[in-house]
Amino acid sequence: MIAGLKGATLLAARYDAFGTVNEDRQRGDPNMDAVERVRQLIEIMTQNDLAEIEVEEPDLRVKIRKNLPIQYLPPGLNLAPVSHAPAYSAALQAPLQISQPSAGGARTVRDEKLIEIASPMVGTFYRASDPASDPYVSIGSEVRPDTVVCIIEAMKVMNEIKAETIGSIVEILVEDGEPVEFGQVLFLLEPPKE
Amino acid sequence: MLSRVLVANRGEIALRILRACKELGIETVAVYSKADASANYLQLADEAVCIGPAPPAESYLNIPRIISAAEITNVDAIHPGYGFLAEEETFAEICEESNIVFIGPRSDAMRKVGNKVEALNIARKNKVPVISGSGEVIEDEEVALALAHRLGYPVMVKAAAGGGGRGMRVAHNDISLKNMLAVARSEAGMAFKNPAVYIEKVMERARHVEVQILADQHGNTIHLGERDCSIQRRFQKLIEETPSPGINSDLRDKLTRAAIRIAQAVGYTNAGTVEFLVDENSRYYFIEMNARLQVEHPVTEQVTGVDLVKEQIRIAAGEELSLQQKRVEFRGCAVECRINAENPADGFRTSPGTITQFIAPGGPGVRLDTHCYSGYEVKPFYDSLIGKLIVHQPTRQQALACLRRSLSEFTIQGIHTTIPFYRDLIQHGGYVNGNFNIHFVDEFLESS
Repeated sequence: MIAGLKGATLLAARYDAFGTVNEDRQRGDPNMDAVERVRQLIEIMTQNDLAEIEVEEPDLRVKIRKNLPIQYLPPGLNLAPVSHAPAYSAALQAPLQISQPSAGGARTVRDEKLIEIASPMVGTFYRASDPASDPYVSIGSEVRPDTVVCIIEAMKVMNEIKAETIGSIVEILVEDGEPVEFGQVLFLLEPPKE
Repeated sequence: MLSRVLVANRGEIALRILRACKELGIETVAVYSKADASANYLQLADEAVCIGPAPPAESYLNIPRIISAAEITNVDAIHPGYGFLAEEETFAEICEESNIVFIGPRSDAMRKVGNKVEALNIARKNKVPVISGSGEVIEDEEVALALAHRLGYPVMVKAAAGGGGRGMRVAHNDISLKNMLAVARSEAGMAFKNPAVYIEKVMERARHVEVQILADQHGNTIHLGERDCSIQRRFQKLIEETPSPGINSDLRDKLTRAAIRIAQAVGYTNAGTVEFLVDENSRYYFIEMNARLQVEHPVTEQVTGVDLVKEQIRIAAGEELSLQQKRVEFRGCAVECRINAENPADGFRTSPGTITQFIAPGGPGVRLDTHCYSGYEVKPFYDSLIGKLIVHQPTRQQALACLRRSLSEFTIQGIHTTIPFYRDLIQHGGYVNGNFNIHFVDEFLESS
């Protein structure tokens, strides 16, 4: 889906600059760091007239939208400070790709070599054939062209979506029950090892 | 009132509908094909959903994808615009079954006027004159020939499920009639999934005059005056104006009454247009009714001050019409030019590509309905309409002066457009004096 996002490339470049600056900062109270990070992001937004920013780091995932209260989303991991600074700054240095946002989907680094499985239709995405069953695939699942990877429900019809490719799932970009549009990327796969 | 509307269309009409919804405080969902993904007007919608790749069959004509998009975005209504699915009865039916309000007539009314032969029968029953013709579907070549001899050539073979100037072929003699029957049936089968054709006498030197109808779901039906659409090329309208310079108030009265009779006879609701041909002796003949909003609706909006799209939405939401017939006023003269991405110097061949510079005209009485802008890429997959230039002034003479002036300002570079063609055409004496008929453009092109 399209939201009012502008200046995405500029954001990535600016963010790298901030990352370098903070490299050697002392790790203190993680909540204070989060607040400082959020303040910096708001500054970036204001300077570049952005409507929305979403940022994910090992210890912080933040989404800021103009005119709405800031949503601080604590990650599923514990909030203990990262003990080694190099890993922290390494994450900051990694290129942040702001792709099309969708409701609640996780965003991470996109590797150009990964295979995409895109939705061939408009509808609602389901990981399994019904709530009681196991998901068709998970991270690490090996798929072949005929492997059913998900259901997309449209007009009360549950359509089984086949992988139509070979590889192993490294990322699932959509959540169970989320609406998807035509062409929306659902899964990222690693190609089979040569 | 409706709270969320999905716009099942693209380009200038999608933008038109988005604008009306926004002013009414209604949330909007736009749908788009991959080819239209970067169009600016999508940013105006509250949500935009990609429904498929470029080909219309897989996107703007794809009912399952559009209904699916409507479901996942939780809209309560769909506006179909014009073209695409606007007059597709099954689409209106599916909306009705899915509890989605279809902003247009009910499917049964659409069906009655969608079959052009049926519509002619309804007109006859309601004392509205029709062109001499078969009055029914022709399947037999012998029957066709006999009829053509009785009517006298030239005759027109028309698709029963057609409309909008499509699926029509003229035959001048027996041999061409046999050919045209086959060609028209084949075209109709492909374009309208129904090869049924009928035959009419060709009306020469006629004007095309149509009447705008609005009807609510409470039994109120009004007309909003006529539009003269005689300036056409290959049955596609190029310039439309209101009032028609070729009819007097007596004929206007007859046409508008006839239009209302037909709309009421089919139980029509929402916006629709009843089309007539008017011959040189001011006799009028019903040809078809279009169960949709028309491209040229802005000229009616300018002279009446009525926002037709908002009225459509209100009617669909169950409200009564905003005004009664006696309150409708007609002020001044409005003229619209359809600007197409076509090269008039090369047989009007379509000219897709990137618009490198787009300078819009402005000033008093000038309205431009367009989705285009500098940097916009006109795609080859859809029709070539890039915008509509509408002028509105107190008199026709002033309207033409305004049109001349605004066309001279209007600059589109990077692609060919029909702007230069209009600049020439509207200088022609035959256009200026208003004494034109449906052959005017052909004669103008032949002479230049």
